[in-house]
Amino acid sequence: MSDVADTLRKLTIVFTEFEGRLEQTPLIRKLTRGRFELADYHAFLVQLRQQVKEGALWMSRAASNIDDKHLELRSLLMRHAVTEHRDFRLLEADYVASGGELRVIQSGEKNVGSEALSAWMYHQASQPNPFGLLGAMWIIEGLGSIKAQEWGRRVKETLALPDEAVRFLLYHGENDVEHIEEFKAMLAMVLPDEAVAKRIVRTAEVTARLYALQIEEILQ
Amino acid sequence: MSELRDGYITGTGAFLPGAPVGNDQMEEHLGRVAGRDSLFGKKALRWNGVESRHYAMAPDGSVSHSNAQMCALAVGAALERAGLAPRDLGMLAAATTQGDLLAPGHAAQVHAELGGGPMEIASFQSVCGSSLMAAKAAWLNVRAGEHDVTAACAGEFSSRWFRPSFYEGTALVDAKGRIRAEADFLRFTLSDGAGGVVIEAKPRPGALKINFIDIVSLADRYDPCMWAGATVDDRTDPLAFWAKAGPRAAHEAGAIALLQDFELLKRVIRAWVGVYLEKVDQGRIVPAEVDHCLVHYSAKSLRAEIVSLLEDTAGMIPQEKWFSVLREVGNVGSASIWLMLDRLMQSGQVKPGEKILCVVPESGRALVGFMMLEAV
Repeated sequence: MSDVADTLRKLTIVFTEFEGRLEQTPLIRKLTRGRFELADYHAFLVQLRQQVKEGALWMSRAASNIDDKHLELRSLLMRHAVTEHRDFRLLEADYVASGGELRVIQSGEKNVGSEALSAWMYHQASQPNPFGLLGAMWIIEGLGSIKAQEWGRRVKETLALPDEAVRFLLYHGENDVEHIEEFKAMLAMVLPDEAVAKRIVRTAEVTARLYALQIEEILQ
Repeated sequence: MSELRDGYITGTGAFLPGAPVGNDQMEEHLGRVAGRDSLFGKKALRWNGVESRHYAMAPDGSVSHSNAQMCALAVGAALERAGLAPRDLGMLAAATTQGDLLAPGHAAQVHAELGGGPMEIASFQSVCGSSLMAAKAAWLNVRAGEHDVTAACAGEFSSRWFRPSFYEGTALVDAKGRIRAEADFLRFTLSDGAGGVVIEAKPRPGALKINFIDIVSLADRYDPCMWAGATVDDRTDPLAFWAKAGPRAAHEAGAIALLQDFELLKRVIRAWVGVYLEKVDQGRIVPAEVDHCLVHYSAKSLRAEIVSLLEDTAGMIPQEKWFSVLREVGNVGSASIWLMLDRLMQSGQVKPGEKILCVVPESGRALVGFMMLEAV
């Protein structure tokens, strides 16, 4: 059981468990219950910036570790990295537009969860043919396509912010259907392969747990 | 220790009150809140795909049946199909979202209507999923050898909660007489009726063996999604529920009506799909082995959203195997799964050896139940 549909099923289970865990974090509880404050949003943006900034870098490192037999996947990761490597600037702009000081977000430090997540990503990206990272992308891009817009709308509504202060979250709400189609194509580049499928699912599980830890640590 | 026995559904029964009420008459039937047409009603009807339903309350407010009476009629019909009578029952499990009385439990009221002499009873109050909670209790009582004949039933009398007086003069209606969508949607979605099954230790021709009933709650993750007894804002604060302010103030605050949070519902739907896919992944549910799929989806459009994800993940049961009565009899909450099963059994489509998967999601506080039946 290691073809695209089986792997996608296991990944969907991991994502829905991840969503349930996020729902229970103090930060997201405040958001969904309408008790979110500007300071919460700012703390959220500071940690998101850590991930987004590192994201394009570990993706580039992963691309550099992909062998000649998987050039199409390497191209895809490189394109992804190029598309996203300036996105942290958008988070800084949102921070400033919502009343924060640029130097504060720029000098923000990773919390315990962010540190763990980042270390894990670079470690994975440093392996030869690090296909497990597709599982990490499933989690992180799933956040972009499924959660970001929902969170963005809630932040905007609760804090009465203008669009230009919530651009990162709102702009990440890309088309979910396209997202899944593109992801299926990526999986098909490395599957069927039982060991790879297992690694992708395991990497998704660890990434989901560490990502949730980062959110948990924002309001402890 | 004696071994567990198998349990078989030997009869199904349904009861729907009065004549069917079409979409064009339903608002007239329930009454217009603050005398205005609903802004949301047509959209809700498009969304849920219901074209006809039944109500136990007439436009003038007179009541034809109580919830418990409808349940007793459904159990009576199921007993008759099994060739039994109320006196043969050892145990009765009854489910509902909102019983006729606040206390005692629903099963006591159903037993009172049904008769049949002294028997064991169990009441299950939740939302749609309460049906399978009752079914599991009735099945396990047979399985454990406690009783040879049990019944499970579920009923709803939602329409009495949808009368204009439940909303008028409350915070759910604004100064222009517009009712909040959280309240209005359910008025156009839920209706009345009851269904039930008889479970025995011995099969009969046409009986259904219960292979399993699995119920999974995710209430530790999700806030109340469909509820009554708290305002929209206070529903996550257990110390601020309706009794704190008292019944009159709670009503004025909009804490008494039945409400639904749509934003949260989207997240809860994904959680249901996750639980289902886990059952598939574990081999508990094998989609290819299912011959009839009865899903209590509360809205037609919900189904469309889920189908493509299930296809991508090899979890889909082909659409031609789905069976539903949502369009014809409406969404009757906990009773819906029994109304579907009864209609399927009466259709003569089920052949010996075939498997029927019943799926009952409950948005109440994120719960989903599965029941696998096998025709003998």
